[in-house]
Amino acid sequence: MSRPGFVLEVDERTPALLVHEGEGFRLERFPLGTRVVYPPESLPGIADVDAEIRRALLNPHGIEPLPELLFPGMRLTIVFDDLSLPLPQMRTPDIRQRVIEHVLELAARAGVDDVELLAANALHRRMTPAELKRTVGERVFRAFFPKHLRNHDAEDRANLVHLGTTAHGEDVEINRRAAESDLIVYVNITLTAMSGGPKSVAVGLASYKSLRHHHNVHTLRHSRSFNDPPNSAMHHSYNRMAALLEKHVKIFTIETTLNNDTFPSYVNFLNKREWEWTLADQARYLAVKRANDMAPPRLRRQMWQKTVAPYGVTGINAGLPSEVHPLTLANVHRQQLTEVNGQADIGIWGLPYICPYNVNSIMNPILVMSLGLGYFFNLYRNAPIVRKGGVGIFYHPMPNEFHPVHHPSYIDFFEEVLAETTDPVQIETKYEEQFATDPWYTHLYRSSYAYHGVHPFYMWYWGAHALEHLGDVIFVGADRATARRLGFRVASTLADALEMARDTVGSSPSITYLHAPPLVMADVR
Amino acid sequence: MSQDSDPLDGAHVLLTGATGFLGQAALERLLSAYPNTRISVLIRRRGSTTAQARFDALLRKPVFSTWRERVGADAVARAVAERVTVIEGDLGDGVTRLPADLDVVIHGASTVSFDPPIDDAFRVNVSGVVNLYEAVVASGSNPHVVHVSTAYVAGARKGVIPEEALKHSVDWRTELESALAARAEVERDSRRPEVLRRALARARAEHGKAGPQSTALAAEDARRAWVTERLVDYGRTRAQSLGWPDVYTFTKALGERVAEEFAASHGLRVSVVRPAIVESALRHPYPGWIDGFKMADPIILAFGRGILKEFPGLPDGVLDIIPVDIVINATLAVAAAPAEPAKPAYYHVGSGARNPLTFREMYEQVRAYFEAHPMPDGGRGQIKVPSWSFPGMRQVERLLRTGERAVDWAEKALLHLPATERTREWLTRIHRESQRLEFLRRYADLYGVYTEAEVIYTDSKLLALHQQLPPERVDEHGFDAAVIDWDHYLQEVHCPSVTGLMRQATGRGGSRTPALKLTRRTDPDSPPIVAVFDLEGTVIASNLIEGYLWARLADLPRADWPRELASLAAALPRYLRADHRDRGEFIRTFMRRYKGASEDELRRLVNARLSDVLLRRSFPEAVRRIRAHRAAGHRTILITGTADVLIEPLTPLFDHVVASKLHSRDGVLTGFLATPPLVGEARAAWLRRYAAQEGVDLTRSWAYGDSYSDRPLLEAVGNPAAVNPDPRLYQHAKRKHWRIETWGRHTGGALEALVEAVR
Repeated sequence: MSRPGFVLEVDERTPALLVHEGEGFRLERFPLGTRVVYPPESLPGIADVDAEIRRALLNPHGIEPLPELLFPGMRLTIVFDDLSLPLPQMRTPDIRQRVIEHVLELAARAGVDDVELLAANALHRRMTPAELKRTVGERVFRAFFPKHLRNHDAEDRANLVHLGTTAHGEDVEINRRAAESDLIVYVNITLTAMSGGPKSVAVGLASYKSLRHHHNVHTLRHSRSFNDPPNSAMHHSYNRMAALLEKHVKIFTIETTLNNDTFPSYVNFLNKREWEWTLADQARYLAVKRANDMAPPRLRRQMWQKTVAPYGVTGINAGLPSEVHPLTLANVHRQQLTEVNGQADIGIWGLPYICPYNVNSIMNPILVMSLGLGYFFNLYRNAPIVRKGGVGIFYHPMPNEFHPVHHPSYIDFFEEVLAETTDPVQIETKYEEQFATDPWYTHLYRSSYAYHGVHPFYMWYWGAHALEHLGDVIFVGADRATARRLGFRVASTLADALEMARDTVGSSPSITYLHAPPLVMADVR
Repeated sequence: MSQDSDPLDGAHVLLTGATGFLGQAALERLLSAYPNTRISVLIRRRGSTTAQARFDALLRKPVFSTWRERVGADAVARAVAERVTVIEGDLGDGVTRLPADLDVVIHGASTVSFDPPIDDAFRVNVSGVVNLYEAVVASGSNPHVVHVSTAYVAGARKGVIPEEALKHSVDWRTELESALAARAEVERDSRRPEVLRRALARARAEHGKAGPQSTALAAEDARRAWVTERLVDYGRTRAQSLGWPDVYTFTKALGERVAEEFAASHGLRVSVVRPAIVESALRHPYPGWIDGFKMADPIILAFGRGILKEFPGLPDGVLDIIPVDIVINATLAVAAAPAEPAKPAYYHVGSGARNPLTFREMYEQVRAYFEAHPMPDGGRGQIKVPSWSFPGMRQVERLLRTGERAVDWAEKALLHLPATERTREWLTRIHRESQRLEFLRRYADLYGVYTEAEVIYTDSKLLALHQQLPPERVDEHGFDAAVIDWDHYLQEVHCPSVTGLMRQATGRGGSRTPALKLTRRTDPDSPPIVAVFDLEGTVIASNLIEGYLWARLADLPRADWPRELASLAAALPRYLRADHRDRGEFIRTFMRRYKGASEDELRRLVNARLSDVLLRRSFPEAVRRIRAHRAAGHRTILITGTADVLIEPLTPLFDHVVASKLHSRDGVLTGFLATPPLVGEARAAWLRRYAAQEGVDLTRSWAYGDSYSDRPLLEAVGNPAAVNPDPRLYQHAKRKHWRIETWGRHTGGALEALVEAVR
């Protein structure tokens, strides 16, 4: 059996601990008494995935088995999570490919001709043909691309349908093909507790008009955390939208969960607890670290982006979204939840090279902010690992680098908006509309591979709760000018960062370090 | 005119050169301290500005501020209206009618520069004098003429120079005649085919890329500059061949001879006043008053700014400096003491005889001043003041020559380097260094004689005049150079005054590219404003060849790549040569490679595979700027020699795209262009025509380009900007103070883009 997660208290015997920092990592000695939150050990993966998929499709929750929902002449739309999941990309065959192949087989057997595959990319960039091929597999790609395997286009007015508004006045507008299908089969990977369930269709196939009801500063400040659906205003909004959707379209969802085998075997030490490193692990650490530090930046990025995770699948459940999702969440918690006793004065996070929006791309400073103050800060239940007014210390070099094709509006957001203000509310009121409706960004989103014009704003809102909660934010090892533009302070070492934090939390603060990735979610008691 | 209180009481004084440094001071003094004089000022029309307008502008100058503060603006206006008459006329141009009741003429008109072209110098300093005396004689009055000359008319001499007529036998008529004829001669010479051919060859090498009109213009400019240079040389060399340091002193000396002749032939009363180096006021109208920079000031400033590491000059040579108010007091005292008819009197106004300031003392004073009050270094603290060792003319000359050669060589070499940030930085440094050397060269050539002077101008006659002043007038109207306390004058009066302006200019911190301000066009009826962008190097980092390579390799099976690459590599030198000669020729030659390609296939390929490559190689800053122009209500225009199908992904950014069209027959490209490629001057011509048709306001419009061939386009608008400019354009942009942008921070590399295209 895998060991549960636990909290280590740093003492004299504790070795230096691994900290991720962008396309690199370091061993850091933490002050005595620092509490380090480790995830549960990686759960064993399902041995026969295909059998499990078949079982799930034939024994769904809250709905008839899939074969009974399929009939000749129907319109079937298979929607799948896009490139932002999982992180890093998983070793092929991707779990989505396996599920889709099973679904297609059942559809063929039932005589269904009208099948479309849609990537649920919402306002994310389109997936390239190569990326689509990797996700759905060669066979499916060849059979369906480009006519019947497409990206969702949230700016294609003719192919969006407004299904109505929720009791809270929230517009529900999604992809026309999906909305007008007899059945949507949604193929999901739930990597963190925020994904899946009501989010899948309501968000993945939505338009800006619909998204802005939950992707805004107010909602995100009241989502504590957005990884804890019952306490997340964002998820409450998703639920309302999903309820409305349910009245219009039948959704059969297949949700999968993955274990914590985040890193391939040659960097296996990244998956292990430091004091359990073997001599071979230590040698490998030294060799990889050395090679990584010496590699030219471009090569280093390519090496990291090429890394694929040998994830095992920990659960496959199918059925009605509302019925399936609790099971999925339980699986996520089983793999990621670690109980932590109380909040600390200082929280520390090491930010890795990847986030949902820089797959095959560049992690720009705004994505760093969103990864640190958004995703990682919100990896909690009940309460953040830092007390209100405490200090957040993040590790990332934060170079001033942007991908000109993928993130054009990010560049302008950085140069024009952040140069004016970093206050989320001001940014939202003054600039969001302008970027969201800019015809050039829209053109690039639709015809090139650019994130939507409004996307950098969402990244900033993602960190709004942390910005409000934290008394100070310090980045260790970051590019000074860039971090300053973002409104953060910079320290060259942890010692300096702790020294700087003294002004806010005094001279003997309590410290918690969230040891991720592999992902861990703190259940703060 | 011999009242004790006011020696010029009731006199009618004619002033020439009133707009000059001495003239302003004289006018102010007459108006403020000689209330019972009438004054006529002879002022030349300048362009469309009348003499009266120039006089009105003159009254607003700082020289009158003390007087205006003392008596009030109304009293000034009244005094001027009652006492001053403006006469429009040009002494260099012919005879002017003068009033018949003149008592005194103060002739201060003179050339401003020390080394003007020979004909200009003679026209003002010799012809002008002849015309003045003729006008005086013709007017019927018999005034006392105070002829302002210079102490340096004595020429390059050593020893003591007395206050008397110059001893030389140069015939001013012959010199005048040949000087005035020189221009025609030089103009004729400058049109000789050999000379023109040389100018043209140089212009072609430097400006050929910008197009034939620019080349022709540059060649003609070069010819004109050559004419001026020749005429300056004529003047300087003729002066030196007769024993004067420069054409200024030479012509002033001949002017004195003219005056002496008129005095003798018409029995005129003439007094010649010869000031030395006139500098800022000691007391009047206020301490430190100066109009523009005078002779010593550029050197003082250059010293303070750390530019002058060494300077020729004898440490014990006397620098004969005299404050302007002393000169004016002396001049007016001379005016009140007429010479005998036909017997000109001579007065030296200087400090050298009785209160000498050596060059070394001057250097120490100035150095002390700058050490106490260093010049700001544009936001980088203060400039270190150099120490001089007075190595002598020869050593300085050698240093200069070596420096000039090195700079010249470096500049030539740099212009052939590719357009990188480092090249531009080097060019800036070389540019600064060459400016420094040019400055040094000018002043070393020009002032060498003055600072190496071993000569004393006696002033006993002037001193005698001073001693005749009634005691109560000595303080206000005295002109004894012995009263000057050099410490006080240099450190507290003169240096603060001449550095003041410069401090204001440089104290504001470094001159980075100013923040962009696009004026929003709010009124839809106002003339449209355009923003024109060149494509390659300005909006995208790639070029024709790269674009071709993407398209070609993306389309070709991998096995055929080596053949294609080899063929391209083999042709590369030919393309580069074509590009060096003429951008249009290159485009024509290169587009041949598209021969046989299917037009639709190419379009499909561009849209499907190359659009992202194009975006990846674009400058985000350029895209942002284009969009900013649009947001400001400007029309955005793309002008490029590239084929239109290759740039389709960028067209949504522009309101108007002007590109080459590939010629096709039955959907297959022939390798020819359907229209000539729009490059160099053709772009400017296109823009002008477009502007005329659409009523565009070009002076408020913008243009962006990266190469020297874009110069005509950039010059066509009011707001040109050089983007990552090539060395030649950079040099030009620097000189013209154009905006210089460095774009491409997040732009992908060529190789990356290629990999993406063929993946």
